[in-house]
Amino acid sequence: MNTSMPDSKTILRETWKNGTTLLAYPNLTSPAVYFTGYMQPGAIADPEEMFGLASFTTDMLMTGTKQLNFQRLHDKIESIGASLSLGTGHLSTTFFGQCLREDLETVWNLLVEVIQEPAFAEKQFKRVRNQILTGIAIQNQDTAEMASQAFNRALYGSHPYAHPDIGYAQSVSIFKLDRLKLFHETHYGPDGLVIAVCGGIEPEMAQEIFSRSLGAWQYDAQSPPEELPPFIPPTASIRSHVALEEKNQSDLIIGVPAPKTVSRDFHVCSIGNSILGKYGMMGRIGKAVREKAGLAYEVSSHLGAGIGPTAWTISAGVNPENLEKTIALLRQELLRFTTEPVTQQELQDVKTQALGRLPLSLESNAGIASILVSIERFGYGLDHLRQLPAIIESITTEEILTTAQRY
Amino acid sequence: MLKEIHTVPVTSTWLWYGIGSRNELPEKTGLSHWVEHMQFKGTHKFTGDDIDSLVARVGGYANAFTSPDWTTYFETMPSAHLHATLELEADRMINSLFDPEDVETERTVIISEREGSENYPEFRLDEAVQMHAFQQHPYRNEVLGSKEDLLGITRDDLYKHYRKHYQPSNAILCIAGDISPNSVLEEVENLFGGIPSSPLSKSIPTPEKSLNPGNQLELEGPGEAHYLEIAWRCPAARDPDFFAYTIIESLLSGPSSLNMFGSGDINNRTSRLYQALVEEDFAASVFGDLSANIDPGVYKIFATIRPDGDPWAALKIINEQIRQITAHELSQREIDRAIKQASALFAYGSDNITNQGFWMGYSSSFADYQWVAEYLTRLRSVSPSQVLRTAQNYLREDQRVVGIYRATKTQGDL
Repeated sequence: MNTSMPDSKTILRETWKNGTTLLAYPNLTSPAVYFTGYMQPGAIADPEEMFGLASFTTDMLMTGTKQLNFQRLHDKIESIGASLSLGTGHLSTTFFGQCLREDLETVWNLLVEVIQEPAFAEKQFKRVRNQILTGIAIQNQDTAEMASQAFNRALYGSHPYAHPDIGYAQSVSIFKLDRLKLFHETHYGPDGLVIAVCGGIEPEMAQEIFSRSLGAWQYDAQSPPEELPPFIPPTASIRSHVALEEKNQSDLIIGVPAPKTVSRDFHVCSIGNSILGKYGMMGRIGKAVREKAGLAYEVSSHLGAGIGPTAWTISAGVNPENLEKTIALLRQELLRFTTEPVTQQELQDVKTQALGRLPLSLESNAGIASILVSIERFGYGLDHLRQLPAIIESITTEEILTTAQRY
Repeated sequence: MLKEIHTVPVTSTWLWYGIGSRNELPEKTGLSHWVEHMQFKGTHKFTGDDIDSLVARVGGYANAFTSPDWTTYFETMPSAHLHATLELEADRMINSLFDPEDVETERTVIISEREGSENYPEFRLDEAVQMHAFQQHPYRNEVLGSKEDLLGITRDDLYKHYRKHYQPSNAILCIAGDISPNSVLEEVENLFGGIPSSPLSKSIPTPEKSLNPGNQLELEGPGEAHYLEIAWRCPAARDPDFFAYTIIESLLSGPSSLNMFGSGDINNRTSRLYQALVEEDFAASVFGDLSANIDPGVYKIFATIRPDGDPWAALKIINEQIRQITAHELSQREIDRAIKQASALFAYGSDNITNQGFWMGYSSSFADYQWVAEYLTRLRSVSPSQVLRTAQNYLREDQRVVGIYRATKTQGDL
């Protein structure tokens, strides 16, 4: 592992004429390479009442290309011990690949091929649809998933984020193959594509490999990214309960809209959130609900990050009989968090934790590539890791209190 | 066991105890896992809060796991703080308090952990299949323990279990990362050298090499997908046949990763079962699990069946695939491919110091360090005839458990 910090001197970053951006960072002691990134489209490009179209289209990409059927495509990947996958989020399609360094060009070229020339075979379409429908059927019986979907409906209301990216059984059942092909033709292209790579390869060599197959890709018909509709937060407290039969545990989510990810508030809330429900054995709420009351095995808080609206949540899995008791304890902790400043000791602890975690996040190729993606997605700048300590150090107990009160 | 890696200023410390659900007696299932929880509750020197903060404060991460064969505690930290980790582990090897109030709080926490798992049909099916796969051997029991036993275990049961099994003669300490071996050895000697060891006395079960013929079970419950699970006996990890079995697993259901911390997996879409079940629409997904154990364990295949699908039809397809693998030798090309996959998985894990620490103790817990050090060499020495013989010995229809979870409610979407 390269002991230097990824920064403007060590990260190779370039944007090609076609709108694709590459970030590369070397870890020359590693025999492997990991790459990840994102591109248009995300689930917000789903047309009205066609929830799940973007996700379904992405799932079809790995089922074969015009040159390689399913078997041959996956044989090429798996026979060299590589992996390649794609997934759809709210705003973008993400991709991941991992392989031995000598196989990088082979694996990358396969990804380019599945993105540019998917086969969209009828047989695969039916099979993938059945898989998606089975996945949805399983989710419908999953207490954590159902709680999450109910929470998103309540928080996001008419915003597209209220809907699961995978869609609903009703919408997925009626898609036609041609609609997926059209969606692919309309949205997939090099503009806005971001690639981050880390591993046992010199950045210049990675640049050569990645640009050889993608640098010349021009696609004028690619539609511009969907504009994100404004998010109107709820004006009153909402409580929603989904009942599922014969479950031994209830999953609970309590939350509010989170600050924008690229903001000072986000950094402040992130430090505050560690104190509330992450630090050590899940922070203050872990202490109250798990350690003292013994009510739950899983209880923690999470501050969502993203380009669009996100949520600041607490989640817990509890016996249904203890649900109200748990909610009362969580409310008590939230009241304390929003009426009293955190202690200097708590603040100091989470600050040193955040600073100490930086070298650990550089422990693996995947960890570094993920940081490179965040740097690009949120426009932090290549020296973000060097600037972060000063931002963290400047946060005060009073700032956490006043910021928490606003959210 | 020490391994120097100076690529980042990080160390990963793993303390392994040779105790798990394999050594538990009837009515006391879940003891080892519960003791693991209690190790975070404090000693006279380190309160529960101290333990919590010690690692978190410096940005490290820590956790513990209990398996049938072992219990392990790990801390991955900036290397400057290694001493604090070692001090904690030495102290809680002998000085944990097991406060009665903490015992009661943890009882409900663990029951909650179990209830969370019970929400999933897959867990319920797997627990039932596992129970049918062994007659007496404790591998039949869920590591979390049965709810009945969790309600009956006392503070004394836990404390006795702790004092009996947490001692140097039953422990392996592994440190990987940015260390200077001589000074670390001295530090370890200072901290652990004075902890007394008494002769080891633990329940050692009789290995069960075969299953009862005709084991079949069916569960029903709410849900919208059916599940099929099949378990066959597999050899102990030390058995030479284990490596041939690893090739079989790779071919049938896809390669398993020895990496603990998400350092990459390889998909199984070209595996024979994926091709036969998923590509032909008999199942929505299929995967396998071959676990490395001290005693003969099980190789399991799990398939998720669509709401309008038939688990018995999927079973027929699996039977056909098993018939093929027990009738014909694999080609050397197929074996080479499995080896290449295993090599790649090792490479992915090797950029992660936490994995390096894990591998040392993990393999020592059921075999020895050579097991992991020679893993690829031993895979390379497997011959097509050995694979065929292993498949014929183990993948028998009269030597397996078939479990089906049938969903009783569907929304009629399909």
